[in-house]
Amino acid sequence: MPILTLAAKDLRLLLRDPRSAAILLLTPLLLILVLGLALGEGFGEKPDERLRISVVNLDKGLPPGVMFPKKSWSDVVIDDLSATQDIRLEIITDPAEAERLIARNRRAAVIVFGLEFSARMHASSFLSKGAPGTPDPVNPLGRDGVDFEQLDLKLLTDKTQPVSASVIEQVTQVTLLRVVIPWMIGKAFQRVGDPEFMEQVAGTLRKVKPIPAEVLADLDPIVQELLKTLTSDTEFAGIVLKEFTATKGSNFFKATEDAATIAKRTPEFRRAVHTAFAYPDITGIYEPPLLKRVGANIAFGEVLKPSVQRQVGPAVKAGVGEMFSNYDFEATTWDKLVKRTARAANTANRVEYRDTAGTGVLNRGALRYQILVPSYTVMFAFFLVLSVGWLFVAERKHGTLVRLRAAPLTRGQILMGKLLPCLFVSLAQGLFLLAAGRIIFGMTWGSRPELLLPLVACTSFAAVGLSVLVASVARTETQVAVYGTLVVLVLGGVSGSLMPRDLMPERMKSVSLVTPHAWALDAYAQLLASPTPDVSAVQLSCAALATFGAVFTLLAWWRMDLE
Amino acid sequence: MNVMPEPVLEITDVRKRYGDLAALGGVSLAVEAGVVFGLLGPNGAGKTTLLSIAAGLLRADSGTVKLFGKPFSRDTRELRHLVGMGTQDLSIYPDLTARENLRFFGKLYGLRSRALESRVDEVLGAVGLTDRANDRAGTFSGGMKRRLNLAAAVVHGPKLLFLDEPTAGVDPQSRNHIFEQVKALNAAGLTVIYTSHYMEEVQALCARIAILDGGTLRACDTLPNLLKRLDARVQIEVTNAPADFAQRLEAIPGVRRAEGNPSPQPPPLGGEGEHSRTTSHVPHALSSSEGSGSPSPPRGGGWGVGLPSAFSLVVDGVGPALAAVASLCASSGATLASATTTEPTLERVFLNLTGRALRD
Repeated sequence: MPILTLAAKDLRLLLRDPRSAAILLLTPLLLILVLGLALGEGFGEKPDERLRISVVNLDKGLPPGVMFPKKSWSDVVIDDLSATQDIRLEIITDPAEAERLIARNRRAAVIVFGLEFSARMHASSFLSKGAPGTPDPVNPLGRDGVDFEQLDLKLLTDKTQPVSASVIEQVTQVTLLRVVIPWMIGKAFQRVGDPEFMEQVAGTLRKVKPIPAEVLADLDPIVQELLKTLTSDTEFAGIVLKEFTATKGSNFFKATEDAATIAKRTPEFRRAVHTAFAYPDITGIYEPPLLKRVGANIAFGEVLKPSVQRQVGPAVKAGVGEMFSNYDFEATTWDKLVKRTARAANTANRVEYRDTAGTGVLNRGALRYQILVPSYTVMFAFFLVLSVGWLFVAERKHGTLVRLRAAPLTRGQILMGKLLPCLFVSLAQGLFLLAAGRIIFGMTWGSRPELLLPLVACTSFAAVGLSVLVASVARTETQVAVYGTLVVLVLGGVSGSLMPRDLMPERMKSVSLVTPHAWALDAYAQLLASPTPDVSAVQLSCAALATFGAVFTLLAWWRMDLE
Repeated sequence: MNVMPEPVLEITDVRKRYGDLAALGGVSLAVEAGVVFGLLGPNGAGKTTLLSIAAGLLRADSGTVKLFGKPFSRDTRELRHLVGMGTQDLSIYPDLTARENLRFFGKLYGLRSRALESRVDEVLGAVGLTDRANDRAGTFSGGMKRRLNLAAAVVHGPKLLFLDEPTAGVDPQSRNHIFEQVKALNAAGLTVIYTSHYMEEVQALCARIAILDGGTLRACDTLPNLLKRLDARVQIEVTNAPADFAQRLEAIPGVRRAEGNPSPQPPPLGGEGEHSRTTSHVPHALSSSEGSGSPSPPRGGGWGVGLPSAFSLVVDGVGPALAAVASLCASSGATLASATTTEPTLERVFLNLTGRALRD
């Protein structure tokens, strides 16, 4: 009960002390306000040397029934971009926001995938004409690479940042080429040797009439071989005999005699054919030459009968494939085309766009407040050192410490009587600043706001512990001011309260964990800056802060000299 | 048969050092219940240290303190509600009102709700602060703060009150109020241990007085007994005194010693701070010149007939002795030209015991 009596009295004195209110509540708000107005958009973000490419994706996706590439073509492009090292991909959902960013010179360029991007990509082809009943093919390749417009893709650019915009455009070009080229080549190569293709070839060759003499000449060995094999075959001899026998006016004997004659004279016949094919102009007597007359009624394309096409088509495709064996022209993706391992999309390179600049005069909602508010909440929690110190010194100065010592109170009760109201004030201060951060500066409380309460409580306990420790050492107001300010500023600087902890070297970040501030700031960063806070990290920080508080309080109890 | 009342405070051979400085060098004293006990001493004598040890604020290096018959020290909590501490410096919260101050200190000693409010009202009335009860103490005058300080010391109803110079630096009105309040508290049964540099306060209030100097107790007795430590003196100038006038004076009951002085201007008895009174053209008309310490010049004649002669008497009581001297002069034909009296005071006793050297 005496503890509560002491606590109530000190709480009343603290509440009546405008100096404490100014230090603990108004000063941090003022600093947050000033810094919030003064600092740039990037404050609080870890410096990122990667090229930022902003994307708006309005793509409706693949046409119905299309199975490849199993996702929208815009996603394929985005994956390719994100797989590129040193590129940070920023996804903007609102096209109007993208235009605002360009208009306000906050982005050099933004890629906008239109509604038809996938459909256009799907239709991209080297063909000039599509199959009947299908949309006309799209040819996206232009003079400078990919013609964005053909693919329903826009590149919004800020004219005031031509260099950056140009870099982004080139990156986009390269990425699109990596996506478009294999898709178009693959599709084209699949057509090579197929019946339609062969028929088209045959159709073309049919226009070649007469069949060129040299072609017939070149066919001589084949004809000779065919004749030789045929005439020496007994089955063929039977066929000949049967044919002769069936001829009107012939009989078996006559047929046999004729067949024997032919069989006997076949070599000469073959030679004659060979002579005719090989030496078409040997006589020079007839015009036109013999072979021309022979092929006069035959179109070249007639050679490519469907059976021939079926044989020739795949052979042609295989032959081309063999000739360009370092590539797979049937592939529709870049990695398969070049026969390399596929590049994996890196989702870590992809972030959702957040408006970190805030709105209005105060830049409400700016990312900087997610850093500034917790930083100054932590730092000014430890400014309690001054208030508590002055509270202790005031007991000496006003002589009331003598009365407390004369009263039936233990040292522990006096310490607890001091500690409790300070803890209350510190809690109120922490909650006030977080509430002010939300109301005034548009800060968010993150996805786990309920965890802010134990964090504020543990931070307050550590701050109060340090405060009573300093108060137990300092004996005058000057000492309180010197020790207190020194402790608060040094610890604030070491811990990263004065600048974002993410900007600190890793080693310094580790060293700074000797301060309670650093633990509190890490936990606040988890809760306020991370979309998915690591709860175990927050719990660890709370445990560390509670330990700091307990150790400080024990040291204060040990050091406290009431005489 | 007289039964000695049990002392409420009994200090036995208490010693305390601060480094090389011996603040208390073995002090023993006892304070009986119901008295106002004066503790005197020059600055640095050890009074505050002794009070602090007695009130349980400081730990003695050695010796014992018994409070109401039970050992009491800095670590003892259970007897503290019996003790009130009126500090030398103010011990109140300037940012709390008078009522809040008293409520707070009352609560520390376990007073609650109606009893607390009733007691706070009572004490506020006693120190004359009812009208300012809801004003912050920081806005009070020095005297009001002193009165509030006294109220804070007694709000929990202690049995023993330590008052360390409670009237230092206040105006006569507040001083008188505090003075009267202490008397009232004592009359109500409260034992008071009172330190002050105002001798007349101590002399008027305290039944028993201890004088401390250099960390040791120089005297501890009732006021009359302390006064007896110094002589009462009467110096007279007489004309036409018979030759055996000195012997006749010495024969007066209550006159312990009488000496004739051939010089018409005998050396003064006592000194600064002594309470002296000179009477001329007596026996019946007395005039006084306080503090001069010098008799009036002789009115003529020398040692013998027609010349004033000076006599110095050590007496038990000034009043009876003067009457007897006047009677002797009348009966012996001598004429009392002047008379100077020097009575013992507490201040004289104090200076006699502690010396005149500055302590600050």
